[in-house]
Amino acid sequence: MAEFLQALTQGLLIGSTYGLLALGMGLVYGVSGVVNFAHGDFIALGMFMCLALYSALSLDPYVSIVITVPVMMGVGALVYRYLLRPMVGHKFLMIVQLTLGLSLVLQNGILMVFGGQPARTPSAVESRLWIVGDVVMRVPHIIAFVVSFAMAIGLYVMLRSTDFGRSIRAVHQNAHAASLMGIDVGRVQILTFALGIGILAIAAALLLPGTPIQPTMGLRYTVITLLVVVLGGMTNFVGIMLGGLVIGISEAFGTIYLSDILGMLLPYGIFVLIMLFRPQGLTWGAAR
Amino acid sequence: MRPEFYKVLQSPILWGVLLLAALLPFVLPSYYLHIVILSLVYVALASSWNIVGGMAGQISLAHSLFIGIGAMLSTALLLKLGINMWLGLLISAAISAVMAAMIAWIDYRFRLGHLSFVLITMAFAEMGGLVVEGWDFLGGASGLLLPRDTGHFLDFQFGGSHGAFWVMLFLAVVCVLVNVAILNAPLGYYLRTIRDNENAARAIGVDVLRYKVAAMVISAVLASIVGTAYVRYLTFADPYLLVSPVITIEIVLFATVGGLGSAFGPALGALLLVPLGEILRGQLGGVLPGLHYFIYGIVVIAVILMTPQGLLPLVERLWKRRPGAVAAAEPPANAAR
Repeated sequence: MAEFLQALTQGLLIGSTYGLLALGMGLVYGVSGVVNFAHGDFIALGMFMCLALYSALSLDPYVSIVITVPVMMGVGALVYRYLLRPMVGHKFLMIVQLTLGLSLVLQNGILMVFGGQPARTPSAVESRLWIVGDVVMRVPHIIAFVVSFAMAIGLYVMLRSTDFGRSIRAVHQNAHAASLMGIDVGRVQILTFALGIGILAIAAALLLPGTPIQPTMGLRYTVITLLVVVLGGMTNFVGIMLGGLVIGISEAFGTIYLSDILGMLLPYGIFVLIMLFRPQGLTWGAAR
Repeated sequence: MRPEFYKVLQSPILWGVLLLAALLPFVLPSYYLHIVILSLVYVALASSWNIVGGMAGQISLAHSLFIGIGAMLSTALLLKLGINMWLGLLISAAISAVMAAMIAWIDYRFRLGHLSFVLITMAFAEMGGLVVEGWDFLGGASGLLLPRDTGHFLDFQFGGSHGAFWVMLFLAVVCVLVNVAILNAPLGYYLRTIRDNENAARAIGVDVLRYKVAAMVISAVLASIVGTAYVRYLTFADPYLLVSPVITIEIVLFATVGGLGSAFGPALGALLLVPLGEILRGQLGGVLPGLHYFIYGIVVIAVILMTPQGLLPLVERLWKRRPGAVAAAEPPANAAR
C-alpha cells in the first residue's frame, strides 16, 4: 500500500509538469496548426541555459527563469516569424520536417557548446525531502507540481478573460473570421508560439533539479509531450493536464512495479489502449 | 497497369544509368563506395515508406519496426538457431507483413485520425525498440555480431562491399519500380483516393481496409528485406541504429524533402541528403562534435524553406523549361500533388 501511494504521488507530481509541457504545444497547435518536433530540444535549451547561468553567475535554476524566459520567448518569436510562417499553407509533413531540422540544429548546437557529458545543475532545494506518512516526496517535485498547476490555471484565466486570450481563442476557432474582426492573426500566432516556448523555459527549470542533462535528451521530451497532447485531445486544457497525469502515473507505476523494460513499455501501452477506445482523447463534452 | 509503367521499364535512360551505376565499384575508392551503398539503402527504405506515407497519406512511424525485424530477427535466427539467413529473410518478411496488416487493421477498425495514427505507430515503434533491448534472443542492448562475409551466396553472403553494392542497387531499383508500378496500377489510384478523402473513397465503394492493408504490407515487406540486406552489409546488428525512431525520422525526411507520393522523389531526397550528411561527417566529424549535424540541420531547413513542395516538383519544372523542351509537354502523370 505504501508503495502504491508512493507511485501515485510521484506520478501525479511529475505528470503535472508533463501537462504543462504539453499545454505549450497544444496552444501553438490550436492557433497555427504547427506540431513542433523541436519541442523537447527547446526544453533541453532551457535546461542548458540554466546550467550556463549557474556556472557563470551561480544562479539557482529557479532564479534563472528571470533571464531564460524572455530569451526563449525571443527565440520562439524569431523561429516562428522566419522559419514557420513562410511554411503556412504547405503540407503538414513539410512543417514537421522543418521542426525536425530545427531539432538537429538545437541539439547539436548545444552539443558543440557544452559537450556530450551528462551534467547536473544543483539547486538549493535539490535534496530536500518532504515525508507524509509513508510517502517520500522530493521538494523540487512539489514545487514543479504547484507551479505547473498554477501556470495552467493562469493560462486558463488568461484565455478566458483577457483580450489577448480572446484573440487566441478567436484565431483557434476561425482564423479568417478573426482577421475580419480586426485581429492581426500573424501577430497572435507569433506571440502564441513565443508564449509556448516561454512556458518551456519555466518547465525546464522545474524539471532540472536532480535530473542529469544531455544534449540528446530532447527527443524523449518531444515524445512524452506528443503523447500527452494527443491524449488530451490536442487543444483541450483539462484533457491535456489529465493526459499529463496519466502518462506521469503510468511511468511511475511502470518503474516501481515492473522490471526495467516492461516498466518503460507501460506508458506506451496505456497510451495505445486509451487511443483505441477514446480516439478523441480524454475529453468530455464541450470543454473547449 | 497503365502504359507509363512499361514506358519506364523500357526506357533506355534507366537501363543505361543502371549499367553505368553497376560499374561504380570498379572505379570508386572504398570510402565513397560506402557512401553510395548507404545512399542506396536509404533510397530503398524511403521508397518503401513512400507507399504508405506518400501514396496512402498515412504517416506511419512504425517503419523502424519492420527494418528492425528484418535486421535483428534474421540475425538472431542465424546465430541462435542456425537458420539460414535466406530463410531468416523470408521469416522476418512474413512476420513484418503480419504486423503491418495488424497495424493497418487497427487503423481501420478504430478509425484513427491522422495524428492518432502517427502517435500510435510511434508508440509501437518505441515499444518494439524496448522489446529488442530487453530480450536477449534478439541481442539485447549490446546487439549481435554476424560472422565474417566470406562470399557464400547460399549463406546470404555477397563478398564484401562490391557484392553489397550490387545487392543494394538491386533492392533500391526494385523498391523504386514497385513505386512506379503501384502509381500506375489500380492500387495506386485507390490509395490516392483514400489519402485525399477517406470518407468519399468509402462512399464510392473503395474497399478501404483491403487497400490500406495492401499498402502497409508491401511497404513493410520491402523494408524488412532491405533491413536484412543492410545488416549483412553492416555485419553488426546494432539495435540503437536499426530499431530506433531516428532511422524512421531520417527516412521520412528524405521522402518528404524529395517529393512525397511521387515515384522518384524519395529516391532523389535520399541520393542528395545521405551523401551530404556523410561527407559533412567525414570532413567535420573530427573538428567539433555536433558540427556536421548542425550544418546538416541548417541545410535541411534551408532546402525546405526554398522548396516547400519537395525537390522533385522543382526538378520537373526546371526540366520542362529547359532550352528546346517540347512546348506542350504532357504533364507528368505520376507527379506529387
